[in-house]
Amino acid sequence: MIRILAACGAGVNSSHQIKSALEKEMKNRGYQVKVDTIMIKDINQDKLEHYDIFTQIANSDLGFDIEIPVVDAGPILYRIPTMAEPVYQELENTIKKLDKK
Amino acid sequence: MTSFGTLFTKDRIYISNQVKQEDVFAEVYQDLLRQDCVTEEFLTNLLEREENYPTGIALAPVDLKLPNIAIPHTESQFVKTSGIVPIKLNNQVIFHNMIKPEEKLDVSFLFMILNQNGEEQTGLLAAIMDFINSCDKDELVTFFNTEDPAELFNFLENNFKGVIAND
Repeated sequence: MIRILAACGAGVNSSHQIKSALEKEMKNRGYQVKVDTIMIKDINQDKLEHYDIFTQIANSDLGFDIEIPVVDAGPILYRIPTMAEPVYQELENTIKKLDKK
Repeated sequence: MTSFGTLFTKDRIYISNQVKQEDVFAEVYQDLLRQDCVTEEFLTNLLEREENYPTGIALAPVDLKLPNIAIPHTESQFVKTSGIVPIKLNNQVIFHNMIKPEEKLDVSFLFMILNQNGEEQTGLLAAIMDFINSCDKDELVTFFNTEDPAELFNFLENNFKGVIAND
């Protein structure tokens, strides 16, 4: 199981759209993925330690270095397949590098 | 499926002549407060959130004819209902890009999200983007230029497909 943390400002609309899109697409690609959502201001190093990948809508200064792989997922919000595909591909490449199904 | 009637109401559609983001927000907030749709803290938190996590979206990737929009929203605790509030801006107002926060956008239309239920109803942004992607683009340009609230409502009623929970 790959654990992903998706963050946005309010922790609701944007991050949940990313959650549902990533879980659906990665399942179709044969990966077991669980995405949790969070408000950016609630992220800390302890929380990130529980995840394999961090997905963000835009670069945000969290005030500390992120030790896990980061994937920019903002283009998913457009709900246009050609814009979302590079995000899915980058996420799949990142999952492969983790070598963890 | 959340129906059109629960997302939009005729008395929550606005045409604003303001030229600054904070003035647009303040104008709409006063009426939403009067309608008991938001808490008194809503405006402060909306402004703070927009500054830290902007919500402007450039629609050029969808169609070059379309103006830029923004989708302001804040945490559920400051909201007393769920729905989408269309706000036509007669003057373009600067917002920062949600995906590239350093980029400024001239925005012509807002879809303010009121999300009382948090995780229970999170398809509002998706529904807005599906609406924009599915409409005829010339008709959408006309919609974004409309200055009559009744016409805005009618177009949305005829074209907005609704929200599938946890899409």
